[in-house]
Amino acid sequence: MVARLVALAFLVPLAFAIGAAVGGAAIPPADLVAALFHPHASGDASTIVWALRIPRLCLAAAVGACLGIAGTIMQAMLRNPLVDPYLTGVSSGAGAAIAIAVTLGVALPIVPAIGFAAGLATAILVAVLARRGTGLDPERLILAGVSLSALFSAIVALVLTRLARGGSSDAILAWLAGSLVGRGWNELIAAAPYALAGTAIAFVFVPALNVLRLGERRAASLGVDVTRVQWALLAAASLLTAAAVALAGMVGFVGLIVPHLARRIVGNDLRVMLPAAALLGAALVIIADAASRSLIAPVEIPLGVLLAFIGVPAFLYLYLRGAAKAYA
Amino acid sequence: MLALRDVRIGRGPCALLEHVSFEARRGEVLALMGANGVGKTTLLASIAGILPLAGGMLELDGAPIAHLDARTRATRIAFIESTSGALESLTVREAVENARYPHHRWWEWTAKESDARAVEAALGQVNVTHLASRQLATLSAGERQRVWIAVGLAQDADVLLLDEPTSHLDVRYALEVLDLARALARTGKIVIAVLHLLEEAADYADRIALLGAGGLIASGKPADVFTTPSIKRAYSVEVEVTRYAGGLAFRRNAALSREEPA
Repeated sequence: MVARLVALAFLVPLAFAIGAAVGGAAIPPADLVAALFHPHASGDASTIVWALRIPRLCLAAAVGACLGIAGTIMQAMLRNPLVDPYLTGVSSGAGAAIAIAVTLGVALPIVPAIGFAAGLATAILVAVLARRGTGLDPERLILAGVSLSALFSAIVALVLTRLARGGSSDAILAWLAGSLVGRGWNELIAAAPYALAGTAIAFVFVPALNVLRLGERRAASLGVDVTRVQWALLAAASLLTAAAVALAGMVGFVGLIVPHLARRIVGNDLRVMLPAAALLGAALVIIADAASRSLIAPVEIPLGVLLAFIGVPAFLYLYLRGAAKAYA
Repeated sequence: MLALRDVRIGRGPCALLEHVSFEARRGEVLALMGANGVGKTTLLASIAGILPLAGGMLELDGAPIAHLDARTRATRIAFIESTSGALESLTVREAVENARYPHHRWWEWTAKESDARAVEAALGQVNVTHLASRQLATLSAGERQRVWIAVGLAQDADVLLLDEPTSHLDVRYALEVLDLARALARTGKIVIAVLHLLEEAADYADRIALLGAGGLIASGKPADVFTTPSIKRAYSVEVEVTRYAGGLAFRRNAALSREEPA
């Protein structure tokens, strides 16, 4: 299984190569290779590759890895294969806040930060509602997440239909559809600490999360501090999701489908599955973003829309075919 | 030796059990008995350290259990219950491998040789080696029960707390599990098992702790604990107890237990 993980590690550079090669402007392969090796050279090819494509590839990789890890954590912690990281309320809370902020005319560069903060605040609210005693109740977490998400989606709908005008409704819709347009190094650097913190917490608690899959009570009798592990992992998933949402908006399905793909490839052990999900998520979003830029260039298909178009049939195929047996 | 000293469990003013004191010794099987809902499982979970005590003290070899940190406690006390809630797509081997968690420090990610040995031994002891690569979802209730026992065995603890270890098991496996419990006790472990059948307890347990009416009714050797009055206090049924050379026999006394019409 570790060998398969190593094989997966080659997927990301491959996806990078594909992502660097495609885009609105056609660059001949020779120029592309030259530009890749000479970042400071003058010329269109070098500028396009280093100022536009590379940052965007890194953003896509970060978004995919964050959502892959967050989805894996949530599915394992709640022992529910249908959970995705947006269940924490992060994306819907961020969505409502962004919709309101954009409508009120807040400067666009600040908007992702507002989304991030509102996303985390919503995650905290969901967690508080899901509390039972000192611990978290998986069922209550799902109920609280689903209901608050519905409420915030309603707020977004209200803003879109009654308050937003012209430009601001376009900005809100672009966010809802998920996109990396106009994002660059600055956004990545701003989100990186949270993404890295979430990843670090996730990896520290992975062995305990493995045990938690036997059920809270059995995990407690095996020496897992269940309450601490649950809160830490929920915090990790929320940070990762908020970072991804701040970078790319609502990129659906990655967090749901990537854990399933990872499990198919490397098996159930989360110590291997978590890095596998990070790699797969990164590769998937890079490829999807490349496709979104190039399929009907110069028009970009929103990333979230494209991922849903690829993801939904793939997921249904995997889930209805294979997993019916596994989760019966 | 595991000692309960004036243990009280339950929340707030109404205790589920109070003034419970008994000792479980190394090398012996102690059967924890009592009517449904009397608090056997809760008491067992409290001994395992996963539920707090409302009062009193638990000592393992003279040291309070409350002072052990969670992982150390889990290397010494295994709590085996059959309630599920596990992720059904796990395989039997993956489930049992998790029992080695307390034997690892947080940075020790990879399995050690002792882990593999403990897992294989545990799978073999309850006869589930052939199911090792099956998913939990595909197992029968009895097979599952044996897997949970294997998880507890792989934990390699010297106190085994078995909550209804024979439920869901057919006669052969029920007897095998009871034999195994006794054999493990004889190797120097402390075994406490929640049992329901008087015959099982009389045959397999060295000591009985009989719970009822919010506390301990009696504890000691089966022949001393299982008397018609104590069984009536615990279960509200009249049972005639016959002693013979090999042990005890129980027979429901229909004439005594039937309420006379007024």
